Amino acid sequence: MIIKVENLHKYFGELEVLKGIDLEIAEQEVVCVIGPSGSGKSTFLRCINLLEDITSGRVIVDGYDLTDPKTNINKVRTEVGMVFQQFNLFPHMTVMQNITLAPIQERKIPKQQAQKDALELLDKVGLRDKVNVYPDNLSGGQMQRVAIARALAMNPKVMLFDEPTSALDPELVGEVLAVMKDLAREGMTMVVVTHEMGFAREVADRVIFMDEGIIMEENTPEEIFKNPRHERTKAFLGKIL
Amino acid sequence: MNDGLNLDWGVAINSLPILMSGIKWTIIITIVGLLFGFFIGALMGLARTSKSKLIYALGTVYVEAIRGTPILVQAVYLYFGVNQILLQTMGFKIEPIPAGIIAISINSGAYIAEIVRGSIQSIHKGQVEAGRSLGLSKFKTFYFIVWPQAFKRMIPPLGNQFIISLKDTSLFSVIAVGELLRQGQLVVSSTFAAFEIYTFVAVLYLFMTLSISGVLRYVERRLDVS
Repeated sequence: MIIKVENLHKYFGELEVLKGIDLEIAEQEVVCVIGPSGSGKSTFLRCINLLEDITSGRVIVDGYDLTDPKTNINKVRTEVGMVFQQFNLFPHMTVMQNITLAPIQERKIPKQQAQKDALELLDKVGLRDKVNVYPDNLSGGQMQRVAIARALAMNPKVMLFDEPTSALDPELVGEVLAVMKDLAREGMTMVVVTHEMGFAREVADRVIFMDEGIIMEENTPEEIFKNPRHERTKAFLGKIL
Repeated sequence: MNDGLNLDWGVAINSLPILMSGIKWTIIITIVGLLFGFFIGALMGLARTSKSKLIYALGTVYVEAIRGTPILVQAVYLYFGVNQILLQTMGFKIEPIPAGIIAISINSGAYIAEIVRGSIQSIHKGQVEAGRSLGLSKFKTFYFIVWPQAFKRMIPPLGNQFIISLKDTSLFSVIAVGELLRQGQLVVSSTFAAFEIYTFVAVLYLFMTLSISGVLRYVERRLDVS
């Protein structure tokens, strides 16, 4: 199990956002997390690389216990790529600099090698011609593909996606999902918070339905979309499909 | 009974070398003062973004104390007040020009601290999250990601502070710093051509500040900061 979550609780002040999450994710598994907004799915994802600190419970990633204060969180994060809804590319750096910054700084890869690797990644996301462009000159879909390449440049063992297509114009969603599908096919372990039910159905090994800070239901995509067991799941899918 | 205006611009032109030596000190005090002021301001501005209550309080007390008192009072306090103590206890005093530089440093430092704090806090927190999620340390995230973006946003207000501090140096005429206004006063006291000399002095200040504005506009255009 590359990710192990045990009885995870998270409070924002008085508000309990996560009310005891238990989950195990195997290597090469693709897990999609769905649910209404405010259900805690993004917060849950952000706990997996400690962008949110954990109130109680345990999160173990690649053998590292994130709740252990002795754990070097920077080291764990090099193994966990994250893709954000708002892309969060560095606007003062070119596409090349965005991608090579962390490999050069944290993996100590020589600059030339890092740039060679970056070009290969840009080939993979279909943006080699944008290598010297600044993010401002890219479309949303291109920005998100660069953001994926940037995360992949660290050779992570897990990729986390926090609603990666929610900020995109509808016609740009497909190009980002296509890159993610390729990634899944290559065997990347992925946790994807998404509203793209088509993607979940096609790519996910397992779908998790979250509501009100707990996992209400988890199953294969076929089961969860055809035979949702929980009333909440039915209501949610009824609204969204 | 009016004898008509009797202006003697020749006196003003003859005094230009003296005024120029004043300009020299005005510029030196401003630039050296602002260099130290930026250093102080960067540290104090960072302190004002700190999560540590003690460090935050340190920055806040400094900024409030300096912003809340007039720079003229600060200069007089340093040159006459602090110097009295220094003379009594250590047997030396701070000379006028170093005193002017110290006053500009400490004063501009407080305003620059607010510029630095505001610029840093204006950077979207997603930038920090992206850096940290790649495994970069807090320091590297700040150094490679936050600071360069924040610095770009600091340039217009820093230019503004440059102009303010340059004009503030004229206050040091009261502590016998031989800057532009002081040199003008010296010329007036021996020639009595107050109107002509002070016109020159004002125009020279304006010339300096407009030059800074021009350079600033150029830099802003080059860096595309809006």
